[in-house]
Amino acid sequence: MSENLTEKEHTVNENYRQKPRVAVYVCHCGGNISDVIDVKRVAQELSKYPNVAVSREYAFMCSSTGQDYIVDDIRNNGINRVVVAACSPALHELTFRGALSRAGLNPYLYEHVNIREQSSWVHKNDKEGATVKAIALIKAGVEKILRQDPLNSIRVEAVHAAAVIGGGIAGMRAALSCADNGLEAVIIEKSDSLGGNLNRKGKVYPSNRQAFEVAGELSKKVLSNPNIKVYLNSEISFVGGYVGNFQVNGKKSDGKFEKVKAGAIIMATGFDHYKPQKGEYGAGLSDMVITLPQFESVFEDLDGKKFIFGGREISSVAFMHCVGSRQIDGLDKPGKNGKVNDYCSRICCTAAISAANRLKEKFPETAIYDIYTDMRTYGMEHEEYYKSASENDIIFFRRPLEERPQVEIKEGKIHIKTRDILTMNEEMEIETDLLVLSTGLMPRDISDLVEYMKLPKSADGFLQEVHPKLRPVECANNGIFLAGTVQGPMDIRETLQAANTAAVKAAALLSAPDIPLDPFVAVVDEDKCTGCGLCPAECSYEGALVMTEKDVKGKKKKVACVNPALCKGCGACAAVCQPRAINVAGWTLDQFDAMVEAIAKE
Amino acid sequence: MKVNPNFLKEVKKYGAFDISKCFNCGNCTAICPLSAQDASFPRKMIRYAQVGAEKEIESSLEPWLCYYCGECSDTCPRQAYPGEFMMTLRRYLIAKYDLTGISAFFYRFPWVQNLLTIGIFAVSLAFFLSYTGDFQELAAKIELAFPVYVTLAIAAYVFTFYRKTILEKAKKFVLSINFSNIKETLIHGLTQKNFAGCSDTDWTRWIAHLFVMSGYTLTLVISNLHLLEPLKVQYSVSEFRTFLVFYAASAIILGGFIMMFRRAAKKVQSSSFSHSSDWLFVIMLFLIGLSTLSAHISNIILGPEDKIVELLYKLNIAVEVAWIIVIVPFTKWIHIFFRPMAVYLRNLKKEEAEGKALAFSLPFIK
Ligand SMILES: Cc1cc2nc3c(=O)[nH]c(=O)nc-3n(C[C@H](O)[C@H](O)[C@H](O)COP(=O)(O)OP(=O)(O)OC[C@H]3O[C@@H](n4cnc5c(N)ncnc54)[C@H](O)[C@@H]3O)c2cc1C
Ligand code: SF4
Ligand code: SF4
Repeated sequence: MSENLTEKEHTVNENYRQKPRVAVYVCHCGGNISDVIDVKRVAQELSKYPNVAVSREYAFMCSSTGQDYIVDDIRNNGINRVVVAACSPALHELTFRGALSRAGLNPYLYEHVNIREQSSWVHKNDKEGATVKAIALIKAGVEKILRQDPLNSIRVEAVHAAAVIGGGIAGMRAALSCADNGLEAVIIEKSDSLGGNLNRKGKVYPSNRQAFEVAGELSKKVLSNPNIKVYLNSEISFVGGYVGNFQVNGKKSDGKFEKVKAGAIIMATGFDHYKPQKGEYGAGLSDMVITLPQFESVFEDLDGKKFIFGGREISSVAFMHCVGSRQIDGLDKPGKNGKVNDYCSRICCTAAISAANRLKEKFPETAIYDIYTDMRTYGMEHEEYYKSASENDIIFFRRPLEERPQVEIKEGKIHIKTRDILTMNEEMEIETDLLVLSTGLMPRDISDLVEYMKLPKSADGFLQEVHPKLRPVECANNGIFLAGTVQGPMDIRETLQAANTAAVKAAALLSAPDIPLDPFVAVVDEDKCTGCGLCPAECSYEGALVMTEKDVKGKKKKVACVNPALCKGCGACAAVCQPRAINVAGWTLDQFDAMVEAIAKE
Repeated sequence: MKVNPNFLKEVKKYGAFDISKCFNCGNCTAICPLSAQDASFPRKMIRYAQVGAEKEIESSLEPWLCYYCGECSDTCPRQAYPGEFMMTLRRYLIAKYDLTGISAFFYRFPWVQNLLTIGIFAVSLAFFLSYTGDFQELAAKIELAFPVYVTLAIAAYVFTFYRKTILEKAKKFVLSINFSNIKETLIHGLTQKNFAGCSDTDWTRWIAHLFVMSGYTLTLVISNLHLLEPLKVQYSVSEFRTFLVFYAASAIILGGFIMMFRRAAKKVQSSSFSHSSDWLFVIMLFLIGLSTLSAHISNIILGPEDKIVELLYKLNIAVEVAWIIVIVPFTKWIHIFFRPMAVYLRNLKKEEAEGKALAFSLPFIK
């Protein structure tokens, strides 16, 4: 075991060493289960099962009364193993483990059997079948828990610092929140300045402030914060370690290395602008077809009464939505990754409309057209932009998602032909001086970082969280968090919210001197291990499983050795070990055998 | 369809200042009890205006099928007042169909129309008062000129309307001689029947309309046929003519009164926006009713020789002169003709599509 790891005895009550006495509780889930499954019969059947000392059914096991049954049975009926048959373990496994702890029993001597999702809900029309299935599943659970050893959570000592990769607004906000929560933060930024994509001219919704001002305000705070270090011009050259003990190396432009030690990593490398291909919505056919970021960069500098662009006076402007977003396979050319961007970039509707409104304000005589597919001005106040755009006489056209407007340049004018749902699906001909393509957000190419850390990506190519609702900023890799547009299209407000959340999550993780980890990791029975070396080849997590020379009972021997902080408990190793020397704690092959046996009996 | 961003600005000169807010959700059309498959409004009309489809607007019958119950405006989530837009379209179209361009001018500069009305009234009255000849004779001539003038004006409108909505599309001369179509058209013309189609029928408005319509038509008949000679004949209370005058005048007064009251109170959608021509229209109508009635009553009481009768009669004719010259051909008054005609043309279109209408190719239409 690594030197950073310590063990703490969880158990106070030693009664697991005595003859097993299992308690089984069948939950009604307020009818969710009991309307289909005959819970009384199930409890009765289980009470006759070997080693089961107590078998009860109750309306809501998760209620305090339900939990009290468990505590009471452990304290007064000599119960030393518990099975609850109820909802999904994702919902209440921790609740019931807590009840065991309170009663002084090792919390891992608990088995959660899901008879709701796996029986009553899926077999609504077969009550008898559902009941029989529930009985079999619970018997298997009893057999499993009989073979369970008391486990202790693994504790990892942690470095109280966060490495923030990327110094856009997400990275800066995350670093500031880390500092506010008592962590040291180090920002490692590739470019020569902070601010990322907001380091530009152009007003941003909803405050209508200059983008560089928003970014500048954050960077001022970051640079004056004593608990934040900033490394600019730094390419990440190595990321290693595990939760609590990461090492991130940044190579500076002068060839020197910055070595950063951190307990958590916050990914904030942001997004790239979509670059339209030649001919796509007229891009590249004329200097008068530009992208929204290009428009923003010139628009702010214009003054005077006339809108002059490219040496010409502009009297009409068309905005085209969904360029590079919501693409359709077979209709749009795939990008470098061989895929089309079928996601919605979310910010481009509101960004285009707010640009159109600003244009109208500055040059009221300009005719403005807006060609959209669906108006997605979601979010607080954004609908107001859409409304004001209407009031500003901006003319909207709604094209079907699967149609691509034709753009032609004739005598210096841009001619757009598009089918318009609003005009009874007629084909409209729009003539304009300037065409602005509202380009979307693309995942940035960070393949080196993805490779170093084995980061999971979504189908869209952005980094992916564990669960969009339950764990929205956590990466499947322990100790790595996602902040901002590295995870998907977000506007500034959402980016900052995500960054704050990531920072708080990192701070919570590192709040204690050491980090508790689930004990469900591979363990090696060194007596049985033959040192064949088959298992490390199966392991997908670098450093989790290696072969080492060890002293086993006085003899030098080559054995498999697990780093519990890096092991994910997937069990790939156990599958290839013939002598069954390596097993996942809490999920041993012997336990599986017994479960299968119990289900298959009769 | 070519997009023209300037067209809406043109329409907005006639009202509907809020219509840009429309985001084409279609709630107004869904709630409209009169909108139908083959005549969908108001959203479709709004859309045409937004993209500048001038031709489509000018060839539409829809504006005349709307009776402005205002349910659409109540329902609109963007407060774009689609009902008011339909009213605006009627003003716009009258101006467009008026080949002289005078209507358009009046809408743009309503004070000119107001001044002109008052002016013509004042000049005629002054002339009548100083007239030394036989005024009854003069009045007969004037009343004879009315139908000629009005018929000419209406004929011009009717032809333009027909040309824009039918001729330019069908490229041939088509007619419906279907009895049920003609009957429906007449019923609409006389009763403005489609009001009843408005689900929340505003009965007061319908009755006011019906009163004004019938009273007004009757007044026209009475004066155009020169049925009254109050400076020559003494009428009695029990006479049929007296009954006609009483009905016509009180219908106008009552109807006009209701309309005025509603405009002032602005309680309902259809009356919440008033163009100054709307006011001029009701006030003048009211005056016609009042002067006709008072002239007739004084004739019954005082006899044809009396100075008061003469004064009131001259007043009556002066009001009618101003009305006929300035208001009849150049305000939305004309819509009482467009409405039934739109019903006729809509049926004609159906018949034409089914190949049932009478059709003549005309050499000068290609
Ligand atoms: C056209 C357009 C208009 C917009 N307008 C608005 C608006 O009006 N209002 C609004 O709220 N939002 C708007 N947005 C969205 C807004 O730009 C983003 O929400 C915001 O910029 C996201 O910030 P971020 O820090 O996540 O990413 P970024 O700004 O992309 O920052 C990422 C940072 O990470 C650095 N980095 C990248 N890779 C590495 C690496 N390997 N190592 C180290 N550093 C790295 C980059 O150099 C950069 O500094 C707009 C977006 C677009 C495309
Ligand atoms: S936000 Fe609007 S413009 Fe952008 S991809 Fe989504 S629908 Fe298209
Ligand atoms: S209800 Fe209002 S917004 Fe909707 S289509 Fe009608 S006028 Fe437009």
